[in-house]
Amino acid sequence: MLALLDIVMTSRRTFFKAAAGATLAAWTANPLWTWAADANSELVLPGKDSLIVRSYRFVDLETPVEYFNTWLTPVPRFFVRNHMHEPIVLGADDWTLSVGGEVEKPFSISLPDLSKLEKHSVVNTLECAGNGRGLQSPKVPGIQWGKGAVGNARYGGVRLRDLLQRAGVKSSGKHVMFRGMDEIPGNVPPFIRSIPIEKALDEDTLVALEMNGATLTKDHGFPARALVPGWIGAASCKWLSEVRVLDQEFVGNFMSPGYRLPNQPVKPGEAVKPEETHPVTSLRVKSLIAAPRDGSQVNSRTLPIQGVAWAGEAEISRVEVSTDGGSTWHLAQLGHDKARYAWRLWTHKWKAPKGGEYIVMSRATDSQGRTQPATAGWNPSGYLNNAIDQVKIHVEA
Amino acid sequence: MWKHSAIGLVIVLGILGNLVARAQSEPPALPAGPMQEKATTACTECHESRIIVQQRLSKAAWTKEVDKMTKWGAVVDPKDRDSLIDYLSANFGPDRPAYVPDRSTPFPARK
Repeated sequence: MLALLDIVMTSRRTFFKAAAGATLAAWTANPLWTWAADANSELVLPGKDSLIVRSYRFVDLETPVEYFNTWLTPVPRFFVRNHMHEPIVLGADDWTLSVGGEVEKPFSISLPDLSKLEKHSVVNTLECAGNGRGLQSPKVPGIQWGKGAVGNARYGGVRLRDLLQRAGVKSSGKHVMFRGMDEIPGNVPPFIRSIPIEKALDEDTLVALEMNGATLTKDHGFPARALVPGWIGAASCKWLSEVRVLDQEFVGNFMSPGYRLPNQPVKPGEAVKPEETHPVTSLRVKSLIAAPRDGSQVNSRTLPIQGVAWAGEAEISRVEVSTDGGSTWHLAQLGHDKARYAWRLWTHKWKAPKGGEYIVMSRATDSQGRTQPATAGWNPSGYLNNAIDQVKIHVEA
Repeated sequence: MWKHSAIGLVIVLGILGNLVARAQSEPPALPAGPMQEKATTACTECHESRIIVQQRLSKAAWTKEVDKMTKWGAVVDPKDRDSLIDYLSANFGPDRPAYVPDRSTPFPARK
């Protein structure tokens, strides 16, 4: 059944909960209506484990921060951001990727042929540009993400540059556009974005077919997605069907007005002229506290403070922890696992001087000397909120 | 042959699965009010209500959203536009209590 699902994808609107073998077993054991009634209050998402449901149609799922205790985020716990509906039916046999535009020899390639090309893998921290939007004030429209629209995974596939070199990019080729097969409701503009040719030709920019060593699931773009390391998730177009070389940045809603930041800092709530904005590209330096959990009661005065930190295309230099609301800071120990675009685990052993309320904070600094700010600059779309993280805990005396 | 049977099975399971899915994951109804029905029809044709009820927006921001969504295909009678904006602003304005999202059930890791 699972192998079949990897071959045939259907929209959650027409097909959903049948995915799991366990579900099939339940069906044979119980009349369907009884089973459904019993599960009435539950929100079952096959292949996903206890995620925060920001939306289900379209699928937008957030990872609770306490799951960020492993270097690689398991796929069942990895956040999902869909701008619109998943493709309704997608047969791997029928799928092809076309490479065209400002190239000498446009071509299309099937999945089996793509799979035969030289493989390359990249461990990358993927974060939605809007992660932390729900923590901004005043609120701005969009999915009200808390802290967990981020995860770290090993992506395997082929280098985009191998495909582009095979096609032969003309000197007029300046940007590379990705088209996804998202099913478009109403008159919504298609989900198409572009990246500059330099990033497209980077040795670590992929057409990814795998995530953590397994075939991509449909939530994550089966059969193929772009993987633009160190950049916002929206750059890494899912359900990829077309790569097109352009002589300029793609003109469309998801390049402008979507996914742009003001060139200059703006006052909270202030409108920004479109011509005074630029595309969001690389992620910012950021850290999150995975443990202890915000609002938790801790019954030991000695406890580890743990989390993750990442910096887009830069490296994490250090993570510091404060347990006194930001007055003093202490270096956290960084985990051994590292890769160019991947987050670092970090930990700090702390002994509370006495019982009571504490504000625990984390702040990361990257290899270019950039440190997380106390509060991130407000912007009209709530992008790249990388404010210092903090949790409030109660330590038992 | 096997492939066609398999696709047929998926379609049948899909129809059944959809019934189960709806029973399990019904998003919240939009709040009572003169525009409840029209808002439900106009907005949830393309996306579920969770996307609306999690917002905390000013009237100016709701106005931009309603106009954008109308341009994108939401069916809003021009004479209902202002009432719809008022309804959304009144129910999902900045002064409303924080929204608490749902959690999905635990699910075994898929190899």
